[in-house]
Amino acid sequence: MEKIIEILKDIDDSIEWEKEQGLIDRRLLDSFGVISLVSELEDSFMVEIEAGEMVPENFNSVEAIYEMIQRLQEK
Amino acid sequence: MQDFKNNLRKRGRVFLFFLILALLLGGVSWKVCQTAADHEEWVHYRNKSALLLRKEPKDTIDVLILGDSLSYTAFSPMQMWNKHGIAAFVGGQSGQNIQESYYMLKTAFENQKPRLVLLETNVIFRPQRGNSGLTMTLAAMGSYYFPIFTHHDIWKSVLTDKQYPEENYKGFQFREVTDPYRGGAYMKETSQKEKISSTVEDYLEKIRMLCVKNQAELVLISTPSPANYNYKKHNTLEEYARQKGLKYEDLNLKEEELGIDWERDSLDKGDHLNLSGAWKVTDFIGTYLHENFDLPDRREDEAYASWNELGKKYEERAKEKLEAMKKDDKITGEEADNRRERSLPVYE
Amino acid sequence: MSYHNPVYLFLFLPAVLLAYQLTPRKRRWILLLFAGYFFFWTISGKLVLYLIGTTFFTHYIGLWLDLLKTSCKEKGEKEKAVRTQYRKKERLVLALGVCTLLGALACLKYYNFFAQNANLILEYAGQRGIFQVKTLLLPVGISFYTLQAISYMADVYWEKIRPQRHLGKLALFLGFFPQIMEGPISMYGQTGEALWKGEDLRGENLSAGCARILWGLFKKMIIADRLYVLVTAVFEHYQDYNGSIVAFAAIAYTLQLYMEFSGCMDIVIGSGRLFGVTIPENFCRPFASENAAQFWRRWHITLGTWLKTYVFYPLSVSRMVKKWNRFGKKHLGKYFTRLGATALCLFPVWLCNGLWHGASWNYIFYGMYYFVILLAGSALEPARDQMIRAFGINQNALYWKIPRILKTWVIIFVGELFFRANGLKAGMTMFFSIFKDFRLDTLWDGTFLGFGLDKGDYMVIFGGILLVSAAGIIKERNLLNGKGVQDMKTPFRWAVYYGLILAVLIFGAYGIGYQQVDLIYAGF
Repeated sequence: MEKIIEILKDIDDSIEWEKEQGLIDRRLLDSFGVISLVSELEDSFMVEIEAGEMVPENFNSVEAIYEMIQRLQEK
Repeated sequence: MQDFKNNLRKRGRVFLFFLILALLLGGVSWKVCQTAADHEEWVHYRNKSALLLRKEPKDTIDVLILGDSLSYTAFSPMQMWNKHGIAAFVGGQSGQNIQESYYMLKTAFENQKPRLVLLETNVIFRPQRGNSGLTMTLAAMGSYYFPIFTHHDIWKSVLTDKQYPEENYKGFQFREVTDPYRGGAYMKETSQKEKISSTVEDYLEKIRMLCVKNQAELVLISTPSPANYNYKKHNTLEEYARQKGLKYEDLNLKEEELGIDWERDSLDKGDHLNLSGAWKVTDFIGTYLHENFDLPDRREDEAYASWNELGKKYEERAKEKLEAMKKDDKITGEEADNRRERSLPVYE
Repeated sequence: MSYHNPVYLFLFLPAVLLAYQLTPRKRRWILLLFAGYFFFWTISGKLVLYLIGTTFFTHYIGLWLDLLKTSCKEKGEKEKAVRTQYRKKERLVLALGVCTLLGALACLKYYNFFAQNANLILEYAGQRGIFQVKTLLLPVGISFYTLQAISYMADVYWEKIRPQRHLGKLALFLGFFPQIMEGPISMYGQTGEALWKGEDLRGENLSAGCARILWGLFKKMIIADRLYVLVTAVFEHYQDYNGSIVAFAAIAYTLQLYMEFSGCMDIVIGSGRLFGVTIPENFCRPFASENAAQFWRRWHITLGTWLKTYVFYPLSVSRMVKKWNRFGKKHLGKYFTRLGATALCLFPVWLCNGLWHGASWNYIFYGMYYFVILLAGSALEPARDQMIRAFGINQNALYWKIPRILKTWVIIFVGELFFRANGLKAGMTMFFSIFKDFRLDTLWDGTFLGFGLDKGDYMVIFGGILLVSAAGIIKERNLLNGKGVQDMKTPFRWAVYYGLILAVLIFGAYGIGYQQVDLIYAGF
C-alpha cells in the first residue's frame, strides 16, 4: 500500500490519495496519469498490467489498485 | 384493488393528456386556417390553389383540373370561360404527387360538385419507391387532416410580414418567358411500357373511386412536354385508360392540331409551356370539353357575375402579354430568371 | 428510413412498440432483432448481408476465444508455460478477428482514398493511374457496428464479459435499430443484457422516451435544418464570401452539427428508453468544456471512450511504450518521458479518430489538429499548475472559467471548419481568408438574407439556441438540484410537452420551402 501511495505522490503530491475513492471518476487521475502510474506499478511490483485491466474500477482508489496488484501477482 | 385504481388513474391521465393535446392542435389548426383564409398573400404559392378552391362559392365549379406544374402551366380556366362558359378550376401544385392530387380532389368535393375531373398524368410517373412513397402519403394525409402542417410557416408572415403575391386566375398565372425546345421529335413509337409504382396505382384507384362515388367523370390528359413524356408512358396510360374505361387524351401526339411551336411556346426548354403554349392547349381542350361532355354554359347565370368580370380582365391582360411576347420574342437575362423563378416556385 | 422521418416516428416505432408488447416476453428479442434488420434493409437493402456476416464472424471469434480459455483452465492454470502458450493463441485469434473486420471496413470505406492517392503518386513517377476509382456501396452504420463488434471481441479476450453463446442475441446487440445509423457505439456490457430482457413497456419509460425524442426533434428540425441552409451556401461557395462570413459559417456549422448529432442521439436514446433499454449518452454539454481534452469527453463520448479503451490503453501498456518509459527514465527525466509516452499513445488515437470519419485528408488533418492541441495541453500542464499556484487562482471562479471556455470554443470552431470543408485545400483557403479579409459590416448589410434564410428563420434559430443553452446551463450548474422536467408537477410538465410539440409543429423546418436534411453522421 505505502509503495503505491509513494508512486502516486510522485505523480502529484497535492492530493491526499489515501482518502479518495473516485480517482478516475472525479478525474484526479487522467488517462495520461494512468499511463505513468501503470508503468511505475509494473516496474515496482514486477507484474504485467494488461489493457483489459484498464477500467475505472481498478484505479478508483488506492485499495482498488492494491487489490489489482495482488490479483496479478497471484497469477 | 389498489392496483386497479392506480391503473385506472394512470389511464385517465394519459387520456386527459391526449385530449388536451388534441384540443390544442385543433385550436391552433383552426386559428392558422382562419389566418390563411383572411390573408391570401401570406399563403405560400404551393398552398394557394387549395385555399382558393375552398373559397369558391358552393357548387360553382364544373371542371376540376388536378396535376403538378404541367397542369397549371397548360390549362387556363378563364380562357375556357370566355369561349365556352365552362367553369373550371386548376387545383394543381408544383411537384404535386398523386397523394396530394387525391386530397385536392377530396377538398374539392367538400364544397363542390364537379362533373368532370381532369388529371394531368405526370403525377403518375413521379418516382415513389418504398419509403419515399410512404413519406409522401403520410405528409399528404397529415396536411389534409391537420392544416397546421400545411400552413405552419405562416408565423413568418405574421411576425415579419413575408408575402407571396400573385395574380391568380382560377389557378392559372401568366408565364411570359420563352426558352425554346430544340430537341426535335420526342414521341418515337415503341411497344415498351413505363412502370407505375404500386403506391401510385393505389392512389390512382382511390381517385377513380372517389370520382365514381361523387358522380364525376375522370379524364386523363397528358399535356405537351418533351421533357416529361415519351411513347412508353403513352402506352402505359393508354392501356390503363382502356382497362378502366376512362377517356385519355395525349396531347403530345397532337402537336400539329394544337399548332405548338417549340420555338415560341416553351417556358424552359421543353419542360413547361409558357402563356403562348397554354393558350393553344387551352383552346384545343376547351373545344374538346365542349364537344365531348355535356357541360353547361354558365355565362348568363347571375351567380357567375364575378367570373365574367374576371374573364374580361383576363382577356385584356392575356392579349397584351401575348402581343408583347410576339414582339420581343424573348425576355432575357436577369429579368427572365426572376420571372421564371416566380413562375415556378422552388418545389419543382 | 431515418430517425427524423415521419415514417419512423409515426409508423415504424409505434408498430414495433405494439408488436413488442403483444409478443411473449421470451420472444421479444426476436422481434427487436427483426425490426433492426428490417430497418437496415429499408436503408441499405441487400447490404444487410454485411451486418449478418459480421455477426456470424464475431459470434464465432467469441466462441473460439472461450474455447481456448476453457481448455487452458482444464490443462492446468497454474503452469505458467501453458498459460503463456494459450495467451498467445488467444491473441492470434483476436488479431484475426480484429483484422478481418477492419479489413472489410477498410476495403469498403477507404479503397477509393487509397486508389486516388496511389494514382497521384504514380503520376508523379510518370505512370498512368492504375487503380480504378469505384463507387462502392457502403452499408449504413458500418463504422458503428464494426467498432461494437471489435469491442465485443476484445472484451471477451480480456474476460471483461462472458461470450454470448446465442447467435441471435449477439445479432441484436449489433443490430438494435435505434443505434444502427449513427451509434452511440455501445459496449456489450452496457446494452447487451438489457436488450433481451424483454421488459414490459412501462408508462414512465414511454413518457420519458417520448419527451427525449421530442427534444431531439426540436434541436434537429428547428435549429439544425435551418442552419444547414446557411452552412451549405457558404461552404459550397466559400470563394464568394469574405472572412467574417466564413468565420460565422464555421460557428454555424459547429452549432448545426451539435444540434443535429446530439438531437439525433436524443431520438435514439429516447427510442431505446421506450423499450426500457438505457443506451449510453453521446453528449454532455460539450460547449461548457474548459479545454480540448474535456471537450472530447463531452462530445461524441462513445467514440472517445472506444478509442481510449481499445487503442489508447492497449498502446499505453504495450512493449513499445514500456521501452520508451525505461529509456526516458534513464536519459530524459520525468517531464519528457511522460510527454513522449503521451505522444506515442495519442498519435494513433487521433489518426484513428480522423480516419474513422472517412478517408479524406481533411479528416486526417482534423485528427492531427486535436492531437497537436491535446499534446500541447499536456505539455503545458505543469506550467499552468504553477501559474495557478503562484497567483492563487480559484479554478472554479467564473473569471477563470469563462475565458477558458471561450478559448475552447475557438478551438472547436476551427476544428469543425476543417471538418466540414470540401477537402483540405478548401479548408486551408477558408481558414486563412478569416485573417486576410475580415469585414464586420457584412454581418449586418443584408448578406445574410441571401443564403436562403429570412429574418424569421434567424429569429427562430436564435431563440432555439437560447432555449437549448438555457437548458444546458441549468443542467451544468445543477440549478434544479438534479431534478428535471420529469420531476415537475404535472401541469408544468405537460405545459413543457405541449410547448415542445407546438414549437416543433409550427417552427420546424419541414414542408414547403424547406428540404429534408439527411443525418450527417449516418454518412460516416
